[in-house]
Amino acid sequence: MTRRISNFKRFVMMNPIIQFFKFIFLSIKVLLIVAGGHGGTRKTGY
Amino acid sequence: MSKIVILGAGISGHVAAAHLRRKLDKTHEVVVVSPNSNYQWIPSNIWVGVGRMKSKEILFPLAPLYKKKGIGFKQAKVTSFFPEGDSETEKPFVMAEYVSEEKRGETEKITYDYLINATGPKLNFEATEGLNPGTNKAYSVCTYTHADHAWQGLSALIEEMKQGKEARIVIGTGHAKATCQGAAFEYILNVEQELRRQKVRDKAKITWISNEYQLGDFGMDGMLLSYGSNIMKSHEMVEMVFEDRGIEWILGSGVNKIEDGIAHYENLDGELKNIEFDFAMLIPSFSGHGFKAFDKSNQDITEKLFKGFMLVDADYTPKPYEEWTVQDWPETYQNPNYKNIFAPGIAFAPPHSISKPRKSPNGTEIFPAPPRTGMPSGITAKLVADNIIDSIKKQKESLDHKGSMGNMGAACIASAGFGMTKGSGISITTFPIVPDYKKYPDTMGRKLGKTFGEIGLAGHWLKLALHYAFIYKAKMRPFWYLIPE
Ligand SMILES: Cc1cc2nc3c(=O)[nH]c(=O)nc-3n(C[C@H](O)[C@H](O)[C@H](O)COP(=O)(O)OP(=O)(O)OC[C@H]3O[C@@H](n4cnc5c(N)ncnc54)[C@H](O)[C@@H]3O)c2cc1C
Repeated sequence: MTRRISNFKRFVMMNPIIQFFKFIFLSIKVLLIVAGGHGGTRKTGY
Repeated sequence: MSKIVILGAGISGHVAAAHLRRKLDKTHEVVVVSPNSNYQWIPSNIWVGVGRMKSKEILFPLAPLYKKKGIGFKQAKVTSFFPEGDSETEKPFVMAEYVSEEKRGETEKITYDYLINATGPKLNFEATEGLNPGTNKAYSVCTYTHADHAWQGLSALIEEMKQGKEARIVIGTGHAKATCQGAAFEYILNVEQELRRQKVRDKAKITWISNEYQLGDFGMDGMLLSYGSNIMKSHEMVEMVFEDRGIEWILGSGVNKIEDGIAHYENLDGELKNIEFDFAMLIPSFSGHGFKAFDKSNQDITEKLFKGFMLVDADYTPKPYEEWTVQDWPETYQNPNYKNIFAPGIAFAPPHSISKPRKSPNGTEIFPAPPRTGMPSGITAKLVADNIIDSIKKQKESLDHKGSMGNMGAACIASAGFGMTKGSGISITTFPIVPDYKKYPDTMGRKLGKTFGEIGLAGHWLKLALHYAFIYKAKMRPFWYLIPE
């Protein structure tokens, strides 16, 4: 096992309060990517 | 009055059926043909496989829901396609064989005006000698029954480890051209966390074995992603996580044979090696179901419908990796020969892989087949349903809804361990799924703002929230359609 994640980073990753805001942020970001649309690729300027 | 027949009630078949039923009035018939009596939310199988969820939490019976919603349901498996009908039946039909208890073995011609083939993949365990879930200490988590078995195997091993046994756990791909690395990736991290929770982590050596050339390829040629204020490659991110969790890895390896506790594989250097294990979870190769198709005079026309999976509006011309473009990928999932047949989700034949093809000196192809995860499966099913709805309403073919995997994003919220306070998730979004090297030449074919990675507890919550949201949606509870695919 090689430590690749610092204590501070680990604290941020596992802190429920920080992660709660991250959860809101992530949910919105994922939603925007999903709802951001999709389309074809065969028309110019797709 | 049109009859739309949907084959399969997985993510794509169920999404298509739900949208068709909601948007078409009851003069039109929507019929689902699927052998499994239950709907299952497959992404949560990894939690079943570590005993943190019961399989009944990820499934529900389809018949009562379909009855309530006015969707016909035949618990049967399709065996052959007659897109022109036959000498006795004017209309196109599929031949299905019932698997339900009351009608087991009975066959039926199911006629249609529109056909959606959403039969997903055949889990092709036979392609790897000795790989048969639950035997030779090797398991799968591809279905809820497999995941239940995997947990039985793992929990028995954990008990032995508590008595002092040192164990080797191998997780990854079980074939040189397997796909779905994401699921195996989630499972290895969940197993690692479960061993820590059970206080036996120090007794286990955990190894990732995969046909990927680099970690984090995921069958998508890897990706460049933003991670906090950094930009990193997916292999760097996965390497960081694996090293931090003490997981070793073997790459560029095609597993070709399983014996009791031994996986034999060939690597990209052409070496034939093996690895011993006490527990393995290996994803099999995915293949088409081997369906046959016949014309009106009963001549075999399978090649007009299938190339393993179903042929759709992709460019299947063989060309070298350097000449692949996003334009090769389908947009409407319509069969070019029979315009009333569509194949969303995993059921369509991809034009080629996404990852760079590689061969060992012995000529064995070792690289991931292209994945088609839940989100694109849902999106492509919805757009197929929308095109059929438009065509019915306008009484002429309408293909305005398009969605190429080269112009579509995907979110992969990979569980890295279960637990409301101790859990973790690796959230990766990618846009587009198939890299567009022309449009995004400097960022490995992806749009950076929309291709990002995050690691932490929030990822676990998000994955859990998606579990409940998608089961709510699948149960077609009030306003289900507001939840995007
Ligand atoms: C363990 C695991 C974890 C995963 N995790 C994620 C994840 O976190 N996120 C994500 O986006 N994706 C995930 N995926 C991928 C996702 O599950 C698939 O992309 C998705 O299920 C594909 O949907 P589909 O409808 O095309 O195929 P399937 O879900 O496989 O559905 C196929 C349907 O066809 C039916 N069928 C089969 N044969 C016949 C026949 N002869 N006649 C009629 N019907 C038939 C089957 O019974 C089934 O109902 C995961 C996959 C696995 C295995």
